[in-house]
Amino acid sequence: MIRTPKIALIAFVISCMFIVAPVSAEDEHARGRQLYALCAQCHGQNGAGAQLFLAPAIAGLDQWYVQSQFLLFQSGVRGLNWQDVGGLRMHPMSQWVKGDADVAAVSAYVASLPRVNPPPQVVGGNAETGKALYSTCASCHGVDGKGNEAMNAPPLIHASDWYLVSSLEKYKAGIRGSNPKNTNAIIMRGMSNLLPNDQAIKDVVAYITTMNNEGN
Amino acid sequence: MIESYLPQASTFAGDIDWLFSMVFWIVGAWFLVCSGVFFWLVFKFRVPNGSQATAEYITGEEKSQKRWVTIPHLLVLFCDVFIIYGAVKVWYDVKQYLPPPDQEIQIIAQQWAWTFVHPGADQKFDTADDIHTVNELRLQEDAVYHYHLSSNDVMHDFSVPVFRLKQDAIPGRVITGWFTPTESGEFDIQCAEICGIGHGLMPARLVVEDAAAHTAWLAERSPVKLAAVTSPVVEN
Repeated sequence: MIRTPKIALIAFVISCMFIVAPVSAEDEHARGRQLYALCAQCHGQNGAGAQLFLAPAIAGLDQWYVQSQFLLFQSGVRGLNWQDVGGLRMHPMSQWVKGDADVAAVSAYVASLPRVNPPPQVVGGNAETGKALYSTCASCHGVDGKGNEAMNAPPLIHASDWYLVSSLEKYKAGIRGSNPKNTNAIIMRGMSNLLPNDQAIKDVVAYITTMNNEGN
Repeated sequence: MIESYLPQASTFAGDIDWLFSMVFWIVGAWFLVCSGVFFWLVFKFRVPNGSQATAEYITGEEKSQKRWVTIPHLLVLFCDVFIIYGAVKVWYDVKQYLPPPDQEIQIIAQQWAWTFVHPGADQKFDTADDIHTVNELRLQEDAVYHYHLSSNDVMHDFSVPVFRLKQDAIPGRVITGWFTPTESGEFDIQCAEICGIGHGLMPARLVVEDAAAHTAWLAERSPVKLAAVTSPVVEN
Protein backbone atom coordinates (compact mmCIF):
# COMPACT_ATOMS: atom_id res chain seq x y z
CA MET A 1 0.00 0.00 0.00
CA ILE A 2 2.62 2.49 1.12
CA ARG A 3 5.43 1.07 -0.94
CA THR A 4 3.89 1.93 -4.33
CA PRO A 5 3.72 5.72 -3.76
CA LYS A 6 7.27 5.64 -2.38
CA ILE A 7 8.59 3.87 -5.45
CA ALA A 8 6.68 6.27 -7.67
CA LEU A 9 8.17 9.21 -5.79
CA ILE A 10 11.71 7.85 -6.10
CA ALA A 11 11.16 7.16 -9.80
CA PHE A 12 9.86 10.71 -10.26
CA VAL A 13 12.88 12.23 -8.48
CA ILE A 14 15.32 10.12 -10.48
CA SER A 15 13.65 11.00 -13.77
CA CYS A 16 13.84 14.69 -12.82
CA MET A 17 17.60 14.28 -12.55
CA PHE A 18 17.75 13.37 -16.22
CA ILE A 19 15.76 16.33 -17.41
CA VAL A 20 18.19 18.67 -19.10
CA ALA A 21 17.21 22.27 -18.85
CA PRO A 22 17.48 24.13 -22.13
CA VAL A 23 20.69 26.14 -22.26
CA SER A 24 20.28 29.77 -23.18
CA ALA A 25 22.81 31.64 -25.28
CA GLU A 26 23.77 33.67 -22.20
CA ASP A 27 24.37 30.50 -20.20
CA GLU A 28 26.48 29.03 -22.97
CA HIS A 29 28.51 32.23 -23.27
CA ALA A 30 29.10 32.32 -19.52
CA ARG A 31 30.09 28.66 -19.52
CA GLY A 32 32.40 29.22 -22.48
CA ARG A 33 34.07 32.16 -20.75
CA GLN A 34 34.51 30.07 -17.62
CA LEU A 35 36.14 27.24 -19.59
CA TYR A 36 38.26 29.63 -21.60
CA ALA A 37 40.13 30.67 -18.45
CA LEU A 38 42.26 27.56 -18.96
CA CYS A 39 42.87 28.27 -22.66
CA ALA A 40 43.87 31.82 -21.72
CA GLN A 41 46.92 30.47 -19.91
CA CYS A 42 48.59 30.05 -23.31
CA HIS A 43 46.35 31.73 -25.88
CA GLY A 44 45.89 34.88 -23.79
CA GLN A 45 42.79 36.51 -22.34
CA ASN A 46 42.01 38.15 -25.69
CA GLY A 47 42.96 35.09 -27.74
CA ALA A 48 45.87 36.86 -29.40
CA GLY A 49 48.17 33.86 -28.85
CA ALA A 50 51.79 33.72 -27.73
CA GLN A 51 54.59 32.24 -29.78
CA LEU A 52 56.56 31.52 -26.61
CA PHE A 53 53.92 28.94 -25.69
CA LEU A 54 53.41 27.83 -29.31
CA ALA A 55 49.84 29.07 -28.93
CA PRO A 56 48.44 30.75 -32.05
CA ALA A 57 45.90 33.54 -32.18
CA ILE A 58 42.42 32.07 -32.04
CA ALA A 59 40.25 35.11 -31.31
CA GLY A 60 37.29 35.33 -33.65
CA LEU A 61 37.97 32.07 -35.49
CA ASP A 62 34.81 30.49 -36.88
CA GLN A 63 33.10 28.31 -34.30
CA TRP A 64 32.81 25.34 -36.65
CA TYR A 65 36.57 25.34 -37.12
CA VAL A 66 37.48 25.74 -33.44
CA GLN A 67 35.05 22.99 -32.51
CA SER A 68 36.23 20.60 -35.20
CA GLN A 69 39.90 21.05 -34.29
CA PHE A 70 39.11 20.74 -30.61
CA LEU A 71 37.46 17.38 -31.22
CA LEU A 72 40.38 16.26 -33.39
CA PHE A 73 42.79 17.14 -30.58
CA GLN A 74 40.64 15.37 -28.02
CA SER A 75 40.46 12.17 -30.03
CA GLY A 76 44.18 12.25 -30.77
CA VAL A 77 43.62 12.40 -34.53
CA ARG A 78 45.54 15.68 -34.33
CA GLY A 79 48.33 16.45 -31.89
CA LEU A 80 49.91 13.05 -31.35
CA ASN A 81 52.68 13.20 -33.92
CA TRP A 82 55.96 13.11 -32.04
CA GLN A 83 57.33 16.05 -34.07
CA ASP A 84 54.27 18.25 -33.52
CA VAL A 85 55.50 20.00 -30.39
CA GLY A 86 52.59 22.44 -30.22
CA GLY A 87 50.05 19.73 -30.96
CA LEU A 88 51.45 17.54 -28.20
CA ARG A 89 50.67 20.38 -25.81
CA MET A 90 47.18 20.95 -27.13
CA HIS A 91 46.21 17.27 -27.08
CA PRO A 92 46.30 16.90 -23.28
CA MET A 93 44.89 20.38 -22.71
CA SER A 94 41.86 19.53 -24.84
CA GLN A 95 41.14 16.67 -22.44
CA TRP A 96 40.20 19.17 -19.74
CA VAL A 97 36.96 20.02 -21.50
CA LYS A 98 34.45 17.21 -21.11
CA GLY A 99 31.32 16.70 -23.16
CA ASP A 100 30.04 18.06 -26.44
CA ALA A 101 28.13 20.89 -24.76
CA ASP A 102 31.25 22.29 -23.12
CA VAL A 103 33.28 21.94 -26.31
CA ALA A 104 30.57 23.84 -28.16
CA ALA A 105 30.43 26.48 -25.42
CA VAL A 106 34.16 27.18 -25.36
CA SER A 107 34.30 27.14 -29.17
CA ALA A 108 31.46 29.65 -29.33
CA TYR A 109 33.23 31.84 -26.79
CA VAL A 110 36.45 31.79 -28.83
CA ALA A 111 34.45 32.71 -31.93
CA SER A 112 32.86 35.61 -30.04
CA LEU A 113 36.21 37.18 -29.11
CA PRO A 114 37.03 40.29 -31.15
CA ARG A 115 39.53 39.56 -33.89
CA VAL A 116 43.10 40.67 -33.34
CA ASN A 117 45.99 41.48 -35.61
CA PRO A 118 48.85 39.49 -34.11
CA PRO A 119 52.17 41.33 -34.32
CA PRO A 120 54.27 40.07 -37.24
CA GLN A 121 57.03 37.66 -36.22
CA VAL A 122 58.15 36.26 -39.54
CA VAL A 123 60.62 38.28 -41.57
CA GLY A 124 61.86 37.86 -45.12
CA GLY A 125 58.53 37.22 -46.85
CA ASN A 126 57.66 38.98 -50.11
CA ALA A 127 53.94 39.76 -50.25
CA GLU A 128 54.03 40.51 -53.98
CA THR A 129 55.42 37.07 -54.77
CA GLY A 130 53.08 35.58 -52.20
CA LYS A 131 50.03 37.08 -53.91
CA ALA A 132 50.61 34.93 -56.96
CA LEU A 133 51.18 31.86 -54.84
CA TYR A 134 48.01 32.55 -52.86
CA SER A 135 45.84 32.04 -55.92
CA THR A 136 45.93 28.30 -55.22
CA CYS A 137 44.93 28.80 -51.58
CA ALA A 138 42.13 31.16 -52.60
CA SER A 139 40.16 28.38 -54.23
CA CYS A 140 39.31 27.01 -50.77
CA HIS A 141 40.20 29.74 -48.27
CA GLY A 142 38.69 32.51 -50.39
CA VAL A 143 40.27 35.45 -52.17
CA ASP A 144 39.82 37.48 -48.99
CA GLY A 145 41.23 34.72 -46.74
CA LYS A 146 38.03 34.49 -44.75
CA GLY A 147 37.71 30.76 -45.21
CA ASN A 148 34.84 28.64 -46.43
CA GLU A 149 33.02 26.23 -44.16
CA ALA A 150 31.58 24.36 -47.13
CA MET A 151 35.15 23.50 -48.14
CA ASN A 152 36.27 22.90 -44.53
CA ALA A 153 38.74 25.70 -45.08
CA PRO A 154 39.35 27.89 -42.03
CA PRO A 155 39.94 31.64 -42.18
CA LEU A 156 43.59 32.58 -42.59
CA ILE A 157 43.41 36.30 -41.91
CA HIS A 158 44.10 37.43 -38.34
CA ALA A 159 46.13 34.28 -37.77
CA SER A 160 49.60 34.37 -36.21
CA ASP A 161 52.06 34.50 -39.09
CA TRP A 162 54.53 32.19 -37.31
CA TYR A 163 51.71 29.67 -36.89
CA LEU A 164 50.85 29.76 -40.59
CA VAL A 165 54.50 29.20 -41.45
CA SER A 166 54.92 26.35 -38.97
CA SER A 167 51.65 24.74 -40.11
CA LEU A 168 52.72 24.79 -43.75
CA GLU A 169 56.09 23.38 -42.78
CA LYS A 170 54.39 20.62 -40.80
CA TYR A 171 52.09 19.79 -43.69
CA LYS A 172 55.00 19.61 -46.11
CA ALA A 173 56.96 17.37 -43.74
CA GLY A 174 53.97 15.10 -43.14
CA ILE A 175 53.88 15.99 -39.45
CA ARG A 176 50.32 17.09 -40.09
CA GLY A 177 48.16 15.46 -42.72
CA SER A 178 49.42 11.91 -42.27
CA ASN A 179 46.57 10.56 -40.19
CA PRO A 180 44.08 8.79 -42.48
CA LYS A 181 41.24 9.82 -40.13
CA ASN A 182 41.85 13.50 -40.89
CA THR A 183 40.93 13.83 -44.55
CA ASN A 184 40.94 17.63 -44.58
CA ALA A 185 44.51 17.65 -43.31
CA ILE A 186 45.48 15.11 -45.96
CA ILE A 187 44.12 17.45 -48.63
CA MET A 188 46.00 20.34 -47.10
CA ARG A 189 49.19 18.31 -47.02
CA GLY A 190 48.91 17.78 -50.75
CA MET A 191 48.25 21.47 -51.35
CA SER A 192 51.22 22.52 -49.21
CA ASN A 193 53.53 20.64 -51.54
CA LEU A 194 52.67 23.16 -54.24
CA LEU A 195 54.83 25.60 -52.31
CA PRO A 196 58.31 24.65 -53.48
CA ASN A 197 60.45 25.89 -50.58
CA ASP A 198 60.68 27.81 -47.29
CA GLN A 199 60.84 31.15 -49.09
CA ALA A 200 57.58 30.43 -50.87
CA ILE A 201 55.96 29.66 -47.52
CA LYS A 202 57.15 32.99 -46.11
CA ASP A 203 55.98 34.83 -49.21
CA VAL A 204 52.46 33.45 -49.15
CA VAL A 205 52.15 34.09 -45.41
CA ALA A 206 53.40 37.65 -45.95
CA TYR A 207 50.60 38.14 -48.46
CA ILE A 208 47.96 36.65 -46.13
CA THR A 209 48.92 39.09 -43.36
CA THR A 210 48.42 42.04 -45.72
CA MET A 211 44.74 41.09 -45.93
CA ASN A 212 44.26 41.62 -42.18
CA ASN A 213 43.84 45.35 -42.61
CA GLU A 214 41.85 45.42 -45.82
CA GLY A 215 38.51 45.96 -44.13
CA ASN A 216 38.39 42.32 -43.00
CA MET B 1 54.93 -4.99 2.32
CA ILE B 2 54.91 -2.35 -0.43
CA GLU B 3 54.75 -4.93 -3.22
CA SER B 4 51.33 -6.05 -2.02
CA TYR B 5 50.06 -2.59 -3.04
CA LEU B 6 52.31 -1.88 -6.03
CA PRO B 7 53.99 -4.64 -8.08
CA GLN B 8 57.76 -4.79 -8.31
CA ALA B 9 58.44 -4.87 -12.05
CA SER B 10 62.16 -4.13 -12.29
CA THR B 11 65.28 -5.80 -10.96
CA PHE B 12 65.99 -2.99 -8.52
CA ALA B 13 62.41 -2.39 -7.35
CA GLY B 14 62.97 -4.85 -4.49
CA ASP B 15 66.12 -3.01 -3.38
CA ILE B 16 64.26 0.31 -3.26
CA ASP B 17 61.44 -1.28 -1.27
CA TRP B 18 63.92 -2.90 1.09
CA LEU B 19 65.57 0.48 1.76
CA PHE B 20 62.20 2.16 2.18
CA SER B 21 61.04 -0.55 4.57
CA MET B 22 64.24 -0.39 6.61
CA VAL B 23 63.87 3.38 7.08
CA PHE B 24 60.19 2.92 7.86
CA TRP B 25 60.76 0.31 10.58
CA ILE B 26 63.71 2.11 12.18
CA VAL B 27 61.95 5.47 12.25
CA GLY B 28 58.68 3.80 13.24
CA ALA B 29 60.33 1.99 16.14
CA TRP B 30 61.93 5.22 17.34
CA PHE B 31 58.60 6.98 17.07
CA LEU B 32 56.95 4.38 19.28
CA VAL B 33 59.82 4.41 21.81
CA CYS B 34 59.87 8.21 21.98
CA SER B 35 56.10 8.43 22.32
CA GLY B 36 56.15 5.74 25.04
CA VAL B 37 58.90 7.48 27.01
CA PHE B 38 57.22 10.84 26.62
CA PHE B 39 53.87 9.62 27.95
CA TRP B 40 55.58 7.59 30.68
CA LEU B 41 57.43 10.71 31.88
CA VAL B 42 54.24 12.76 31.75
CA PHE B 43 52.48 10.14 33.85
CA LYS B 44 55.35 9.53 36.26
CA PHE B 45 56.02 13.17 37.06
CA ARG B 46 52.47 14.41 37.08
CA VAL B 47 51.50 16.74 39.93
CA PRO B 48 49.37 14.87 42.49
CA ASN B 49 45.96 16.27 43.31
CA GLY B 50 46.14 18.92 46.03
CA SER B 51 49.92 19.35 45.75
CA GLN B 52 51.38 22.86 45.87
CA ALA B 53 54.49 21.81 43.96
CA THR B 54 55.53 23.94 40.99
CA ALA B 55 57.39 22.92 37.87
CA GLU B 56 61.18 23.06 38.08
CA TYR B 57 63.25 24.48 35.22
CA ILE B 58 65.85 21.96 34.08
CA THR B 59 69.03 23.25 32.45
CA GLY B 60 70.04 19.78 31.24
CA GLU B 61 73.61 20.12 32.52
CA GLU B 62 73.48 17.33 35.11
CA LYS B 63 75.01 14.03 34.05
CA SER B 64 71.78 12.16 34.82
CA GLN B 65 69.88 14.60 32.62
CA LYS B 66 72.38 14.60 29.74
CA ARG B 67 72.03 10.85 29.46
CA TRP B 68 68.50 11.35 28.12
CA VAL B 69 70.03 13.11 25.13
CA THR B 70 73.36 11.42 24.56
CA ILE B 71 72.26 7.80 24.75
CA PRO B 72 69.37 8.15 22.27
CA HIS B 73 71.63 10.31 20.12
CA LEU B 74 74.25 7.57 19.91
CA LEU B 75 71.60 4.96 19.25
CA VAL B 76 70.15 7.06 16.43
CA LEU B 77 73.62 7.50 14.94
CA PHE B 78 74.06 3.73 15.16
CA CYS B 79 70.85 3.29 13.19
CA ASP B 80 72.01 5.90 10.69
CA VAL B 81 74.97 3.70 9.81
CA PHE B 82 72.57 1.05 8.49
CA ILE B 83 70.46 3.61 6.64
CA ILE B 84 73.45 5.33 5.04
CA TYR B 85 75.03 2.02 4.07
CA GLY B 86 71.78 0.83 2.51
CA ALA B 87 71.12 4.16 0.76
CA VAL B 88 74.60 4.41 -0.75
CA LYS B 89 74.49 0.80 -1.91
CA VAL B 90 71.09 1.18 -3.56
CA TRP B 91 72.02 4.56 -5.05
CA TYR B 92 75.14 3.06 -6.57
CA ASP B 93 73.33 0.01 -7.95
CA VAL B 94 70.44 2.00 -9.43
CA LYS B 95 71.91 5.34 -10.43
CA GLN B 96 75.65 4.94 -10.89
CA TYR B 97 76.29 1.39 -12.02
CA LEU B 98 75.44 0.76 -15.67
CA PRO B 99 75.20 -2.93 -16.61
CA PRO B 100 75.87 -3.72 -20.28
CA PRO B 101 72.66 -3.08 -22.23
CA ASP B 102 70.64 -5.44 -24.37
CA GLN B 103 68.68 -2.54 -25.83
CA GLU B 104 68.62 1.23 -25.72
CA ILE B 105 65.80 3.77 -25.89
CA GLN B 106 65.53 7.53 -25.99
CA ILE B 107 62.97 9.22 -23.77
CA ILE B 108 62.04 12.77 -24.70
CA ALA B 109 59.91 14.79 -22.33
CA GLN B 110 58.04 17.89 -23.37
CA GLN B 111 55.03 19.88 -22.22
CA TRP B 112 52.93 17.64 -21.96
CA ALA B 113 53.81 14.38 -23.60
CA TRP B 114 56.42 11.64 -23.66
CA THR B 115 58.09 10.54 -26.86
CA PHE B 116 59.89 7.19 -26.86
CA VAL B 117 62.38 6.27 -29.56
CA HIS B 118 63.50 2.74 -30.31
CA PRO B 119 66.58 2.54 -32.52
CA GLY B 120 65.05 -0.03 -34.87
CA ALA B 121 66.74 -2.95 -36.54
CA ASP B 122 70.08 -1.20 -37.07
CA GLN B 123 70.31 -0.43 -33.33
CA LYS B 124 71.34 3.15 -34.13
CA PHE B 125 69.46 6.31 -33.29
CA ASP B 126 68.67 9.09 -35.74
CA THR B 127 68.33 6.72 -38.66
CA ALA B 128 65.37 6.05 -40.93
CA ASP B 129 64.24 2.94 -39.07
CA ASP B 130 63.82 4.64 -35.69
CA ILE B 131 60.45 3.87 -34.13
CA HIS B 132 58.72 6.78 -32.40
CA THR B 133 55.82 6.36 -30.07
CA VAL B 134 53.96 9.02 -28.12
CA ASN B 135 52.75 8.28 -24.59
CA GLU B 136 53.35 4.55 -24.97
CA LEU B 137 56.56 2.78 -24.04
CA ARG B 138 56.94 -0.83 -25.08
CA LEU B 139 59.69 -2.88 -23.50
CA GLN B 140 60.90 -6.44 -23.58
CA GLU B 141 60.73 -8.43 -20.39
CA ASP B 142 64.10 -9.33 -18.81
CA ALA B 143 66.11 -7.18 -21.24
CA VAL B 144 68.59 -4.68 -19.81
CA TYR B 145 67.73 -1.23 -21.13
CA HIS B 146 69.80 1.90 -21.19
CA TYR B 147 67.59 4.96 -21.41
CA HIS B 148 68.72 8.39 -22.60
CA LEU B 149 66.41 10.95 -21.05
CA SER B 150 66.13 14.54 -22.29
CA SER B 151 63.68 17.42 -22.17
CA ASN B 152 62.58 19.69 -24.99
CA ASP B 153 61.50 22.54 -22.77
CA VAL B 154 61.30 22.62 -18.96
CA MET B 155 62.15 20.19 -16.17
CA HIS B 156 60.17 16.97 -16.08
CA ASP B 157 60.59 13.73 -14.15
CA PHE B 158 60.33 10.29 -15.69
CA SER B 159 58.57 8.25 -13.04
CA VAL B 160 57.64 4.58 -13.34
CA PRO B 161 56.17 3.54 -10.00
CA VAL B 162 56.33 -0.22 -10.65
CA PHE B 163 60.03 0.11 -11.51
CA ARG B 164 60.53 2.33 -8.41
CA LEU B 165 62.29 4.66 -10.84
CA LYS B 166 62.25 8.45 -10.80
CA GLN B 167 64.66 10.48 -12.85
CA ASP B 168 64.56 14.21 -13.54
CA ALA B 169 64.74 15.33 -17.16
CA ILE B 170 66.72 18.54 -17.38
CA PRO B 171 66.73 20.82 -20.44
CA GLY B 172 70.12 20.76 -22.15
CA ARG B 173 71.19 17.46 -20.66
CA VAL B 174 70.89 13.86 -21.79
CA ILE B 175 70.76 11.65 -18.72
CA THR B 176 71.57 7.98 -19.14
CA GLY B 177 70.28 5.33 -16.77
CA TRP B 178 69.12 1.76 -16.83
CA PHE B 179 66.41 -0.67 -15.84
CA THR B 180 65.41 -4.24 -16.49
CA PRO B 181 61.68 -4.97 -16.66
CA THR B 182 60.86 -8.23 -14.90
CA GLU B 183 57.10 -8.47 -15.14
CA SER B 184 54.94 -8.33 -18.23
CA GLY B 185 51.79 -6.25 -18.22
CA GLU B 186 50.58 -2.67 -18.53
CA PHE B 187 51.70 -0.07 -16.04
CA ASP B 188 51.67 3.68 -15.46
CA ILE B 189 54.26 6.26 -16.37
CA GLN B 190 53.89 9.73 -14.92
CA CYS B 191 55.64 13.05 -14.77
CA ALA B 192 56.78 13.68 -11.20
CA GLU B 193 57.99 17.25 -11.62
CA ILE B 194 55.56 20.16 -11.89
CA CYS B 195 56.05 21.23 -15.50
CA GLY B 196 53.27 23.64 -16.29
CA ILE B 197 49.52 23.79 -16.43
CA GLY B 198 49.20 20.47 -18.27
CA HIS B 199 51.41 18.56 -15.81
CA GLY B 200 48.49 16.57 -14.47
CA LEU B 201 47.66 15.37 -17.98
CA MET B 202 51.06 13.95 -18.79
CA PRO B 203 50.64 10.25 -18.17
CA ALA B 204 51.87 7.50 -20.44
CA ARG B 205 51.48 3.75 -20.58
CA LEU B 206 54.21 1.19 -20.14
CA VAL B 207 53.73 -2.15 -21.86
CA VAL B 208 56.14 -4.93 -20.91
CA GLU B 209 55.92 -7.99 -23.13
CA ASP B 210 57.85 -11.17 -23.80
CA ALA B 211 60.60 -11.31 -26.41
CA ALA B 212 58.46 -12.80 -29.18
CA ALA B 213 55.68 -10.25 -28.81
CA HIS B 214 58.15 -7.39 -28.58
CA THR B 215 60.05 -8.48 -31.67
CA ALA B 216 56.78 -8.75 -33.58
CA TRP B 217 55.78 -5.26 -32.43
CA LEU B 218 59.13 -3.79 -33.48
CA ALA B 219 58.81 -5.39 -36.91
CA GLU B 220 55.27 -4.15 -37.30
CA ARG B 221 56.08 -0.58 -36.28
CA SER B 222 59.37 -0.25 -38.11
CA PRO B 223 59.08 2.50 -40.72
CA VAL B 224 61.71 0.77 -42.81
CA LYS B 225 61.67 -2.91 -43.60
CA LEU B 226 64.58 -4.92 -42.33
CA ALA B 227 65.68 -5.83 -45.83
CA ALA B 228 65.91 -2.20 -46.83
CA VAL B 229 68.04 -1.37 -43.81
CA THR B 230 70.50 -4.16 -44.41
CA SER B 231 70.84 -3.53 -48.14
CA PRO B 232 73.76 -1.39 -49.33
CA VAL B 233 73.06 2.34 -49.13
CA VAL B 234 73.86 4.35 -52.21
CA GLU B 235 75.55 7.61 -51.32
CA ASN B 236 74.42 10.65 -53.27
